[in-house]
Amino acid sequence: MSQDSTAGLLERVGALRLGVWQVPVGLLAIALLLRPVISNDLLLGYPQIASSFLIWMIIVASFNVLMGYTGLLSFGHAMFMGIGAYSVAIALSAFAVPFLIAAPVGIVLSALVAYLVGRLIAHKGEIYFAMLTLAFAKSAHFIANYNPGGLTGGTTGLADGTTPAWIETSRGFTYVALGGVRIDWYWAVAAVFVVGMLLMWQLVRSPFGRTLVAVRENETLARAMGVNVRRYKVWAFTFAAAFAALGGVLLEINNQGATLTELSIVTSGNIIIMAVLGGANYFFGPLAGAFVWMFVEEYLADFHTLVLPLAEVPLVHVDVSGVLSYWEFFLGLLFVIAVLISPREGIFGMVKAIVDRIAARVRGDGE
Amino acid sequence: MSADDPKSVALGTEALSKHFGGVVAVDEVDLAVESGELRAIIGPNGAGKTTLFNVITNALDPTSGSVYLDGEDVTDVPQERRPHLGLARSFQGNELFAELTVLENVRVVAQTAAAGPFSFSLLGDGRSVRADEARDILARVGLSEHAETEAKNLSHGDQRRLGIAMAIATEPSVLLLDEPTSGMGPGESRETVDLVQSLQDDLGLTVLMIEHDMEIVLSVSDQITVLNRGSVLATGTPEEIQGDEDVQDAYLGGVREDL
Amino acid sequence: MSTSSRALGLERLSAGSAAVWGAIALLLLLAFAVEPGLFVDQFVGGLVYGMTLVLIALGLSIILGLLGIVNFAHGALFMLGAYFTYQLMTIWGLPFWVALVVAPVMVGVVGVLMERVVLQWLYDEPPLAGLLAAFGIALMIREATRAVWGDTPLSVQTPAVLAQSADLVVTTVARIRLFSVVVAALVVLAVYLLIERTDFGLSVRAGVQDREMAGFLGINMPRRFVLMFFLGAVIAGVGGVLQGTAVGMSPTMGDQYIIITFVVVVVGGIGSLFGSVVAGLLIGEAVFLTPLVLQSLADVTGVSALAIPGIGGLVPYLVMILVLLVRPRGLYGQEGFME
Repeated sequence: MSQDSTAGLLERVGALRLGVWQVPVGLLAIALLLRPVISNDLLLGYPQIASSFLIWMIIVASFNVLMGYTGLLSFGHAMFMGIGAYSVAIALSAFAVPFLIAAPVGIVLSALVAYLVGRLIAHKGEIYFAMLTLAFAKSAHFIANYNPGGLTGGTTGLADGTTPAWIETSRGFTYVALGGVRIDWYWAVAAVFVVGMLLMWQLVRSPFGRTLVAVRENETLARAMGVNVRRYKVWAFTFAAAFAALGGVLLEINNQGATLTELSIVTSGNIIIMAVLGGANYFFGPLAGAFVWMFVEEYLADFHTLVLPLAEVPLVHVDVSGVLSYWEFFLGLLFVIAVLISPREGIFGMVKAIVDRIAARVRGDGE
Repeated sequence: MSADDPKSVALGTEALSKHFGGVVAVDEVDLAVESGELRAIIGPNGAGKTTLFNVITNALDPTSGSVYLDGEDVTDVPQERRPHLGLARSFQGNELFAELTVLENVRVVAQTAAAGPFSFSLLGDGRSVRADEARDILARVGLSEHAETEAKNLSHGDQRRLGIAMAIATEPSVLLLDEPTSGMGPGESRETVDLVQSLQDDLGLTVLMIEHDMEIVLSVSDQITVLNRGSVLATGTPEEIQGDEDVQDAYLGGVREDL
Repeated sequence: MSTSSRALGLERLSAGSAAVWGAIALLLLLAFAVEPGLFVDQFVGGLVYGMTLVLIALGLSIILGLLGIVNFAHGALFMLGAYFTYQLMTIWGLPFWVALVVAPVMVGVVGVLMERVVLQWLYDEPPLAGLLAAFGIALMIREATRAVWGDTPLSVQTPAVLAQSADLVVTTVARIRLFSVVVAALVVLAVYLLIERTDFGLSVRAGVQDREMAGFLGINMPRRFVLMFFLGAVIAGVGGVLQGTAVGMSPTMGDQYIIITFVVVVVGGIGSLFGSVVAGLLIGEAVFLTPLVLQSLADVTGVSALAIPGIGGLVPYLVMILVLLVRPRGLYGQEGFME
């Protein structure tokens, strides 16, 4: 089911008579509910990771602007997140520039790099473009590893002096301390999350965004109908990079530093997985994908400390945890199945289809 | 038959050629289509008709020669700018925005026609821009009832009409139609051609139409250009072409027996 | 924009490219002069590495060019070649010469399974679908490999006759490495003959150009697809056998090689098997010789910063960027492929 019929279908089902308010309400709901939900003992049982969830949602959503909406596959998207993170880390530790100046600078820098790279490569064929993004990302990683002028910290990255003064940590929690008031870091992230995602949403629903969708659907036709496809691709690339960098600057505080992982190809690959897993066709798809991916990773990491009803069932041996260390096997299997069914629907799409079908049946529409 | 006053030539080509390595697909083609004319382009398969369209619209770069729109040399104008100068086309195989609705297909083209090849329209709801104009076009071509259907789910005939609707949405003065009736039975073909003619009258269009259906070609064309192996074999009115021996040898004879 | 500028090879030596080639030749001579033994060492190393890349890239290129599938699992097939060798030689005690033939065939069967069960349903989908499915398969193969043979790197016993070194005047080279180069060259030659000189190959090439038309002509394309997939997998398997014997194996070797192999295919030009061969050798040598050349330059000029550590790993990507800027479709890429 495409974006277009979404609004129409929901109107008919009457489930959420919110029309254009769906997205803002959904975003607010996520921001408000995420932490309490995952803190529940049945899920992860602790709240600290919630801010990471939101940050990665922003990053994967920024990638989906490129892949889901414009149809451009990039193998190096993490690079732009990394530029944001490193810009802030370097500014704070080496030049004592305040975060609130360093962050916008980092975002602009990331967008600038994307614009220049985009001008060079955005018009090339699918695979050539994807491979070139990989090449540039590898180069960025190499430069950071090379540690020019001692700025990037080489293999270990940057950690000392990279946290702004107004960030405090105590007992595993992070706080923003401003003018005598202490706010949990999660709420600061949540606020940026809602604003950032709303901006992305406006980008994709605007006339500009609708043209991106047309480019994705049929580039040849778009060009024949008068769309300057090349320029649209360059700017989609640029905007996606800017939003990724937004995630990157938040990540820098969240992780208290910047490391090579932020620039690595593996991270870029994970972003692709999260976007596809969640559903490239939907605005909330990448959010679902980021959530599921991170949730599964965290869940499996703590597998041995969680209370599982399975343990009480005599047939299931402890060996289960052994198999689960090969969880990527099942991820691969899931991928194959998902792709064979429909590569663009993802988890969000499948869940949505089920919900729609139930709602339709409830309303008495036969199938 | 070329016009004496260049301004009344809506679309012209001069020695237009396209080579693919050793293969000459379009060979020194001269065209002069007058404003308001309905010109049929006919020829056997592989005669280079679609390639000619591709070169005129700059989907392919010409090897040599020029293209003129309303007397202006547009040979160096890139493909995406030509619709904004009034040159529109439909495609032989259905080129559509498959996952988008019929309405959105037309609307996004109408939006582009108004906004230009590139614009930073970042505010507001994209789906409402030019939606009324798009609905009008759908009504005009008879697709209103399918406005919310995804383009890929349309019947073949409706898809062809959608292609015409999108071409109209670019607000053209010259319309290139590539086999608009292909895959249609005689009834639907007739309807489609009637639609083209009425659009032509309402909007003051110049139409170039690649067609295989000789009945249609002979009945509605103002002039016919016959292509064979990439070059122009003959140009003339339907009567002249019917009587032309070269054309009969190369093409018409065989086709008459087919249809 | 001119179609006439598609001429390739030495016929079109413009002043610019002549200067570039001249500079490269000079740098290589310099490196040889400074350290002849090391140069030959690295040259052979580059040749071996390059031939390994060629073997994987050939199979990848065949599948990509013919079937339009971005076979991300090709590195995993390469890896299986090595692990099957281990299984045959170390676990089941068979001689190397048996493994050299049997292991690739086993890999070929895995490839056919991949194609029949998963990939054949995705031929007409956009390339992303095949890529993702293949990626999923690659994950599964890697994890299964870890489960069966463990995480630690493994090695096999090099057969006695190949375990010795060959004398190359300025340096000595392990015979197994020369053997690898020879076997790889033979495989490339065999593939070339098959594709260019047989009717079967002609029908495959026709199918690449226009699958529908070939089908109309009565050529059984699906059967050819399976066969070419088998062939591509077998070739990768041969690479795996050679690599596993010469160097060893680990579950991450698939991931390590697949990306570079894609770079090779892209640099060579999608749709061109010849391009994959040229690009594989080019990149293989570039990876091994660039650090040496830079070191020599640093020694000679005294600018020690020239000897950038680890540059070898980045070289394939730099080559790709340079090549694609000058030739947007790679060295021998054909118009319309995957565009």
